[in-house]
Amino acid sequence: MDFLRLLFGPGDFMPHGYRYLWNPGLVWLHVISDVLIAASYFTIPFTLLWFTRKRRDLPFSWMFGLFGTFIVACGATNVMEVWNLWQVEYWLAGALKAVMAVASVGTAILLARLMPQALDDPSARQSINANPALETEVRERRALEVDLRSSENRYREQAELLQLTYDAVIVRNLKDEVTYWNRGAEELYGWRGEEVLGKVPYELLQTSFPKPRVEMEAETRETGYWEGELTQRRRDGSVIAVCSRWVLRRDAQGNPNGILESHRDITAKRGDRESLGRDEERNRVNEISFRLLIEAVKDYAIIGFDPNGMVTSWNDGAERLKGYKAEEIMGQHISRLYAQEDIAAGKLEEELQQAAATGHVKDQGWRVRKDGSRFWAEVVTTALRNPDGKLIGFVKIDRDITARRDSEKRIRDLNLELLEQLDQLGNVNRELESFSYSVSHDLRTPLRHVDGFARILKEEYSQEIPQEAIRYLDRILEGATRMGQLIDDLLNLARIGRKELKRKKLQMGSLVKEVMAELPAEAQERSIEWRIEPLPEMNCDPGLVKLVFANLLANAVKFTRKQAAAVIEVGTRTTDGQLTIFVRDNGVGFDPRYADKLFGVFQRLHRQEDFEGTGIGLVTVQRIIRRHGGEIWAESQLDAGTSFFFTLGPLAQPSDEAQSTEIKPA
Amino acid sequence: MEILLVEDNPSDAELALHALKKCTVANRVMRARDGAEALDFLFRRGEHSARGGEERPLLVLLDLKLPKVDGLQVLKEIKDDPKTKAIPVILLSSSKEESDMAAGYLLGVNSYIQKPVNFAEFQEVVRQLGMYWLLLNAKPPASAFPNT
Repeated sequence: MDFLRLLFGPGDFMPHGYRYLWNPGLVWLHVISDVLIAASYFTIPFTLLWFTRKRRDLPFSWMFGLFGTFIVACGATNVMEVWNLWQVEYWLAGALKAVMAVASVGTAILLARLMPQALDDPSARQSINANPALETEVRERRALEVDLRSSENRYREQAELLQLTYDAVIVRNLKDEVTYWNRGAEELYGWRGEEVLGKVPYELLQTSFPKPRVEMEAETRETGYWEGELTQRRRDGSVIAVCSRWVLRRDAQGNPNGILESHRDITAKRGDRESLGRDEERNRVNEISFRLLIEAVKDYAIIGFDPNGMVTSWNDGAERLKGYKAEEIMGQHISRLYAQEDIAAGKLEEELQQAAATGHVKDQGWRVRKDGSRFWAEVVTTALRNPDGKLIGFVKIDRDITARRDSEKRIRDLNLELLEQLDQLGNVNRELESFSYSVSHDLRTPLRHVDGFARILKEEYSQEIPQEAIRYLDRILEGATRMGQLIDDLLNLARIGRKELKRKKLQMGSLVKEVMAELPAEAQERSIEWRIEPLPEMNCDPGLVKLVFANLLANAVKFTRKQAAAVIEVGTRTTDGQLTIFVRDNGVGFDPRYADKLFGVFQRLHRQEDFEGTGIGLVTVQRIIRRHGGEIWAESQLDAGTSFFFTLGPLAQPSDEAQSTEIKPA
Repeated sequence: MEILLVEDNPSDAELALHALKKCTVANRVMRARDGAEALDFLFRRGEHSARGGEERPLLVLLDLKLPKVDGLQVLKEIKDDPKTKAIPVILLSSSKEESDMAAGYLLGVNSYIQKPVNFAEFQEVVRQLGMYWLLLNAKPPASAFPNT
């Protein structure tokens, strides 16, 4: 502790400042200078340290360490100088100076000792001399590198080119093993490169050579080159012809180390050469047969002409159709065959322009014969072009369709006429309709008055008028009733004529049942035996066919009136595959001699006082059946009953699954 | 007034009135000679504009064929107007023309009768009509005739 106190304590000395009598200028001059020196001394070792770290190859690097220590020590003494301007630690400063002295002396001695060694160090000397040589070497190496790189590029380029070419390129070594197989080879032969490496190419491809292979190999080794045609087999088995070039490859020392082969497929070309002759012959045959064909066509005019419109070919059909012989028209302008007005209207030009633009044009129009007469032609114009697309002419195919055009026109005229007639018929129908409407209203009205007032007279004044007059009133009333009946029947008949036939599936059995229920009261009141067979389903107009049964059944009821045991039958029978429906009664019948009057309007075969009637019922029935496409006829003998038979036409035939309905007697 | 008879033909009208009188169901019958007059009466227009009261027919017997305004038009106007819509209307026609019947029913007619040629039958028809519409049928209540 005493030592430390001695070292750091003030002791009995005065600070150095006293030496400068505390002259501020002098004091600060010392302070600043010493601080700057110390700072520089402290930084230098770091620089040296950094340098030795970077250059580990430097000899005597320890010398730098020693030098650094020496300088730091120098710095420390300067710091002490500043410190002691105010403090009085001369012992410490002395100690530091002693350390610095040791370092300085050591460094000086070691440096002096080192000099001879350092001067002898070869690396140091060489490094100085070697520099220019090194630079030269570096330059040379760089040039070589560039050179290498460019040749590498060249090789890569060549390899890429080999991959690009369509030819098959193969390299084999002297043992005939494949060492290279390009894309062209893969495509030509069908084997991939990795599949064939190491294989013998002429075995793989079953190559047949134009002369012994040994000879060819010898020739290649001698001259370095061979060229010729070979036959090879692809992976898929197909045989190809190739033209082939071989080049001998040598190593750097000039010794042969392989053969490069290039093959090009010439199969197609070889085939072409062989088939060319055959094709030419076939073309000639085709041309001749085509020309013969065109000439033989009689119903069509086939005319060829050049782009200027001059006729270049003219077949027999053209001669027949147009009247010109080939020698008269060849070289003439095509417009000669056209109607003057069509030429003036530019129709021909337009036609040819369109044909040239679109390939071909269809048209109809008047054409003129040699004798000036005209015919209506249907024409197809086709533009002809050579393989380069240049227009070399046209072909026209004409046909005379005057007759067809005329008949088409006739059909159109007839259709128009028919439409007019239909229109008139429609008018007639409408007139008829309004006529029957008037009849039903206006004829009935006065009849109602006749009946009405006659009845009032009879009923309310019967006491005041004689019996004879009442009998006359009865006649008036009868007449009115009959007139009313006639009007109704006539209206019915007229209605059938104008009503549209509406067919639908109809159960004839149900229909008959319905009609029976609506028959006049007489049918219900009398004892009648009804024999109704099962009836089929038929395709007909329900309203109209109902009217048929209503008339026929009412007739049967009426004409069996005098029969004690009346029997009425309805059934079917099939004749010639056609279904016939019959309605039979055992009534008074009629004389077959008058059968032709049965279906006439207002015609009756019985006297009014025996059997009432208007003579319109059966006409109505017949009209309905005929409208269905069917027929009606009757068989009868006087006092032996009557049978009516009818069909309803082919469209009404019952379907196979038709069901029959059993009808119970009413 | 119980029945409005719209009939242009005097003979028909007389026969109808005779029949109505005979069956004694209707005591008061008003007759219009054409469609226009019938509408004037029903809607109190023209010479009937002064007609007071709430009197309206219980039944309209309407002939189909009428001068000026025909039966179907009269029917349409009656059935289109809420004031008269509830009055029963019966069309009387000489014929059973399908188109007339369809038109009548589509316009809402209450009944369509073909006048029989035979007067005895006509009388029977009139009797039955009177029986049904004036006696058997429940008349439309006042609330069926708004705004009158």
